[in-house]
Amino acid sequence: MNSEEDFTKIYNAHASKVHRLCLGYASGNTELANDWHQEVFIKVWNHRKSFKGKSAIETWIYRIAVNVCLGDLRKTKKNSPINEELLSNTSIDDNRDDTDKNLKKMYQCIDQLNAQNRALIFLELENTSQAVIADTVGLAHGTLRTRLSRIRKSLLKCIKNGK
Amino acid sequence: MENDFLNKVWDTQDTSVPKFSANEIITKAKKHRFSQYVTITIISLTVIVLIIYAFRFAFQSWNSFNLGLFLMISSLILRVIFEFYSVYRKESQLISMDLKSYYAYLKNYYRIRLSVNYIVTPLCIIVYGIGFYLLLPYFERDLSKGFYTYILISGIASMLVVIVFTIYGISKETRFLKYLDKR
Repeated sequence: MNSEEDFTKIYNAHASKVHRLCLGYASGNTELANDWHQEVFIKVWNHRKSFKGKSAIETWIYRIAVNVCLGDLRKTKKNSPINEELLSNTSIDDNRDDTDKNLKKMYQCIDQLNAQNRALIFLELENTSQAVIADTVGLAHGTLRTRLSRIRKSLLKCIKNGK
Repeated sequence: MENDFLNKVWDTQDTSVPKFSANEIITKAKKHRFSQYVTITIISLTVIVLIIYAFRFAFQSWNSFNLGLFLMISSLILRVIFEFYSVYRKESQLISMDLKSYYAYLKNYYRIRLSVNYIVTPLCIIVYGIGFYLLLPYFERDLSKGFYTYILISGIASMLVVIVFTIYGISKETRFLKYLDKR
């Protein structure tokens, strides 16, 4: 991955996924997500020679992405509690009329998860293979499956009931 | 079925990728690297000049002026070296660790930084202040009254600014460490 051409291919293949992952960590704050997105790929370019191919390239990129976002979380106002007004007395809108509201609720619920669980669910929602997710976050495959199932349940519960 | 709901909501996110292309990223990365090299070169040159000065002039006629200068410069250099080392090490861990290990590393990193900020940084500021104090009689003797007053006020003001920044940095890093510990 030493040439600019190789980097461009890799960038085009992973930019969208990394961007959405950053967007999730930034709770939908596009400006912050863009900053993180750039920072991730600047690191990928600067350290490309240190990539020895011990893991898949996508695992390496996702590791950098989740680590950049984690290290920079202090820039977000992520410690704020869920907006009860937004969550109370609302149910999942099956007709998807109010997608923005659902997404906002989802961001707020994901916000309640710890940094590791957040990375798990972001990667899972981006249809990343479980082997890559396990390698990215440093979990055994079995533990990952159980954890993902619990996270999904708790997220659904939170979005439905605000808890 | 219910699980699909999460994916559906997630997929309603803005799917547009940021406007910057791979080439723009590469250009930014190169600029970033270049500015790092420039900073390192400037600092290295400053240190070399100071070492030459110390061996050629200062050590041959040691007095409180040289001592003051030495204290001010060495405290600054010590702090700058720590900062560079700290940033460099964090970066190398970031690109090589999985999230779980990096999370543990970050907690340790901020704990060490806190002790540095509570012990080493105040020590550096005190040593810097002593060095500055030792230089004052020479400034008073050799400079005009107006310029001496300017140096005195700006010197104290810059130290106060450093103290305010240090306190701000400590409070920010303490908050983040608490956040990491809590999760």
